[in-house]
Amino acid sequence: MLDKIRYKRLFRSNEFVIFLILLGLSLTIGIINPAFFTVSTLFDTLRSSIVFLILAYGLLPIVIAGGIDISFVAIAATTSYATHMFLLNQGYEGGVFLYYLIAGVAGIFAGLLNAFLVTRFKLPIFDVSLAMFTMWYGFNLFFVGATANFSLPKGTVGFYNIFILTAQDPNVGETGLHVSVLLALGLGLFVWWFLKYTTLGRGVYAIGGNREVAIRSGFSIQSIFFVIFGMMGLFSAIAGVTQAFLSRYFNPVIFITQPLDVLAAIILGGAAITGGSGSIVGTTLGVLVIQVINRALILTGIPVEWQRFVVGVILILFTSIPALRKLRAKRMGHSNLVQSE
Amino acid sequence: MTKQPIPKFPKAQQISFLKKLHVDGQTLLLSVVFIVLLLFFSVAVQKFFTPRSITSMAFQLPELGILSLAMMITILCGGINLSVNATSNLAAVVAGLFLTRMVPTNLDPGLMGFYVILAFVIAILIGFLCGILNGIMVGYIGVPPILATLATFTFFTGISTGLTKGVTVTGFPESVSIIGSKTIAGVPIPFVIFVLLTVLTYIILNHTPFGFKTRMIGTNPIAAEFSAVDNRKVLLGVYVLSGILSSVTGILVMSRTMSAAYEYGTTTYVLLTILISVLAGVIPGFGKVIDIFIAVLILQVLSTGFHMLLTGIRGSSFFRDFAWGVLLILIFIVNYFVRGRSRTD
Amino acid sequence: MSEPIIRVEHIRKKFGGVVALDDVSLAIYPGETCCLVGENGSGKSTLIKIISGVYTPDEGDIYINNKHYKKLTPIDSIGEGIQVIYQDFSLFPNLTVAENIAINHQLAHRKKIVNWREVEKIAREGLAKINLTLPLDELVENLSTADRQLIAIAKAILADARLIIMDEPTTALTQKEVIALFKVINDLKERGISTLFVSHKLNEVREIADRTVIFRNGKKVLDQDARGIDITTMEYHMTGRKLDSTNITFSPPGDFNSPLLTVEKLSLQHAFKDVSFVLRRNEVLGITGLLGSGRTELALALFGELPVDSGHLYIEGESALIKSIQQAVRNRIGYVPDDRIQQGLFLDQTINDNIVISIIDRLITKIGLVRSRVKKDVSSEWIRKMAIKTPSGDLPVRTLSGGNQQRVVLAKWLATSPKILVLNGPTVGVDVGSKAEIHELIRQLSSQGIGIILISDDIPELFQTCHRILLMRSGRIAEEYAREEIDEQYLYQRLIFSDNPTVVASEDQWNAR
Repeated sequence: MLDKIRYKRLFRSNEFVIFLILLGLSLTIGIINPAFFTVSTLFDTLRSSIVFLILAYGLLPIVIAGGIDISFVAIAATTSYATHMFLLNQGYEGGVFLYYLIAGVAGIFAGLLNAFLVTRFKLPIFDVSLAMFTMWYGFNLFFVGATANFSLPKGTVGFYNIFILTAQDPNVGETGLHVSVLLALGLGLFVWWFLKYTTLGRGVYAIGGNREVAIRSGFSIQSIFFVIFGMMGLFSAIAGVTQAFLSRYFNPVIFITQPLDVLAAIILGGAAITGGSGSIVGTTLGVLVIQVINRALILTGIPVEWQRFVVGVILILFTSIPALRKLRAKRMGHSNLVQSE
Repeated sequence: MTKQPIPKFPKAQQISFLKKLHVDGQTLLLSVVFIVLLLFFSVAVQKFFTPRSITSMAFQLPELGILSLAMMITILCGGINLSVNATSNLAAVVAGLFLTRMVPTNLDPGLMGFYVILAFVIAILIGFLCGILNGIMVGYIGVPPILATLATFTFFTGISTGLTKGVTVTGFPESVSIIGSKTIAGVPIPFVIFVLLTVLTYIILNHTPFGFKTRMIGTNPIAAEFSAVDNRKVLLGVYVLSGILSSVTGILVMSRTMSAAYEYGTTTYVLLTILISVLAGVIPGFGKVIDIFIAVLILQVLSTGFHMLLTGIRGSSFFRDFAWGVLLILIFIVNYFVRGRSRTD
Repeated sequence: MSEPIIRVEHIRKKFGGVVALDDVSLAIYPGETCCLVGENGSGKSTLIKIISGVYTPDEGDIYINNKHYKKLTPIDSIGEGIQVIYQDFSLFPNLTVAENIAINHQLAHRKKIVNWREVEKIAREGLAKINLTLPLDELVENLSTADRQLIAIAKAILADARLIIMDEPTTALTQKEVIALFKVINDLKERGISTLFVSHKLNEVREIADRTVIFRNGKKVLDQDARGIDITTMEYHMTGRKLDSTNITFSPPGDFNSPLLTVEKLSLQHAFKDVSFVLRRNEVLGITGLLGSGRTELALALFGELPVDSGHLYIEGESALIKSIQQAVRNRIGYVPDDRIQQGLFLDQTINDNIVISIIDRLITKIGLVRSRVKKDVSSEWIRKMAIKTPSGDLPVRTLSGGNQQRVVLAKWLATSPKILVLNGPTVGVDVGSKAEIHELIRQLSSQGIGIILISDDIPELFQTCHRILLMRSGRIAEEYAREEIDEQYLYQRLIFSDNPTVVASEDQWNAR
């Protein structure tokens, strides 16, 4: 009996719904344009998802804890760009590892700064992130540099073509799955493990569920915030560096228009905007759905200038339909009042 | 009888006196910051406090100012409007396209003036319609405002992009620039409009039932429903008003730049308006228009001040952003200590 | 007589200049159920906070399990086996039953990694200790209040509680659930675990308590075996004066031929069916019933918040359509909710604003604006009329006591000049003194012409205010009485009567007293 209930719950879960949407979308697009069902599409979609995924994985714990943060994009841009300009200055010719190391550490500190301000002065996460967003991009553009930089160190040039899997595609010839997919996978697994199997991770859900009770139960809000913001900073730095090497240039304003898109992907994946719920699986599916939609727009031949419009319509529908369902449910079952006798 | 613990509030007399001045801690703090910045830049930069530079500032700040008003009222009622900039751009784009594609070019100035005014009316109409969409989604369907306006922001920008194919609309008749570049008694028209709209918003928020209900809904939407407030209608009204204010900004931008672009400002502009509300201490149910006004002034002073201070050095606006972020954090921290370490309890 | 679990002696506590506790001594022994009774502000909540270590007394000693504590912290208190169950039950709605039960254990043992198998084991253990079965992987937010409360108790037991403290535990429970709760408390008693709870439901106090402790103005005025005290005596000690309900004058209600409100066969799926009754002018009509009888839904239906599926309403003879709150108010119906914090008040807004919110549209001048002067005058008048105790109308409503907050809600509705006022539990969380004043107010309002429907499960309250009382059961109006026909005891019996044998058992308990 218990297993039946478990299956019912699985099928009604947000993650499953999103999975169905992803499936449905893919099939529809494939029918319209069979070029969708090729290996190159799969590899390309995954490749374009990598950086988004890493950003989302870093942001997810913050959202679960009930906060909204937009500064992570600024941290990504600043740590990656500043590290690059610094290493360039030093005449660095080595590989990518040092980039990740330096940017990563810087990212952690940036994230910890957020955590410090939030816990020490009891400031709202969003307000702090707003200030940090403005500050970091301003800092980056003014003190480090305002132009895109294409001079990559010799040792990093090959990174762009490192594939873990290659295949022959009827349309484009040889395509490959970039190794950074493993990076995203690894980070995702880590956060999944953190959220599910560590007490700190469960504390994130606890804070999102009821912060007062979390404090009362003995969770150290401070420690948890420092950890998840540190993680957010680290992941953002990694994302920034990876994006730069995948596109082969460093952009000081990378991601500046995208913080809300990452948030949208997380919400699409089933997280509540008020916190308390959310999962790695859901977030991954959310990001993939958005990427597939973007790809679909190209493949279905919608003119470039109208693609944003289509995305807008989809977003309006995606946000209105669940809300309408909730409205109908409220009208039909005033269940919060009727108690069993 | 029953004894109550003494509430941690100042005496009644203190409250009424300050209320009479329409002043409270937040306004005081902001005014002090504004004056300090003014003094700093007047001293640090030679030509800062001249009529020319003040006029220039007065031409620039109304756009952000009116957009901030558009954002503020939605925050007051417990929501947010991420689509303010997109609405502004769409209004400008549609009006611009109307002027450049649907109006013959060789008209005599009088008739052209009429068409220009018509174009502005169309812009406001667009703002109105955008507001209706937002209002329906938030008020009637019940979509969380941050998600609804994120969706409409994409939608409106999408329409602008599609209509213009990404190309900035230019080639307006001369009369379009009147609003954005002329002065009345030495005061730039945009600034006059900004002040008028600020006053209008103040009156609406403080002296109409609609404004009163807006505040109450922001404080406790359930209690508002139970007090016979029609939440849905009020929310619709708030977002419509927000849309109209946004479209006015679009008109001002159009007039000043003599162009209309789908991407003027980008997302960062929206964040600036949120920043201004945060600085002004606007939260659901509580917030003062005067604080928004001062916050906008502060930002403008910072902007122009750094621009002049760092002449010769490229990218002063970047430094302004950096300083703005730091300033915000400092003000947060000061607020924390001033409020006696207790936040909402 | 064994050693007390906790003993506090000569406790004094001041907040600012206000004395919250004045020379209070109390001991709680193993295996006893002790009820704290007292008005708001009498000191009972303060004492609980001192026992649980949240507050430190200015003077006095605390002995727990014979250990003397000069400064007791919450962790000490919990370590000694004193567990407080808060109003939110200290549960996480977004987590499962299993995780909620085991979480304190995880934290207490400083476990960094979560072993889900162990979590399940601990959860099962906890539930077993109070004979409760619940699906372990159900989210707590999907459970009823009663189940959540029981989980909270399970958590406390798991933490080796010797004394469990609860604040108004039966407020949101149905009668069956109250019985289940009392059974658990009695089980705990057998095992030597004591319960201390605050309650205002004096009849329940009589039913479950071994000892009743009454506070008034920071002093302990009574501490003795519960069985010897009746409700009137309790009320006397709580307020220091006699509340005599026999001498209340009721003004005569209008006649049945020209009723104020006629309700005909109102039905709402899953809530109530074929409800018909009449409300006369100048009448206070009481509607009572256990939780789940449909009484709250009926009130909300009359107010338009829950539009009915079928049935008719007539106000002063004319057919009225009430499908929304705005329509209800337009028909001059007002509603004072039972949850005044969530549904009735804007806590951080001023008293003035709270009063005028429902009539703000009527305060406009010719050009549609509202003048602050007018707003102020209107609210000042109501503050005076309702005797709301506050130094200024510009203070937030949050600063008022429960009784005064309720007066603000009443003022808001009276300002709308209603013909009919529906009151849902108007004196819940209001101190006994204010309660009597509000009852007097209700009687006055009805004599001035307002028809009042009073929904309440407080039987003395019904008798102090109502001309007639309707009893609802399972969504229908089961019985109707005029006040003079019956007495409180009889009404209570009829209230808890049901065809369900487990409920009848409780009736025997009542009869045995």
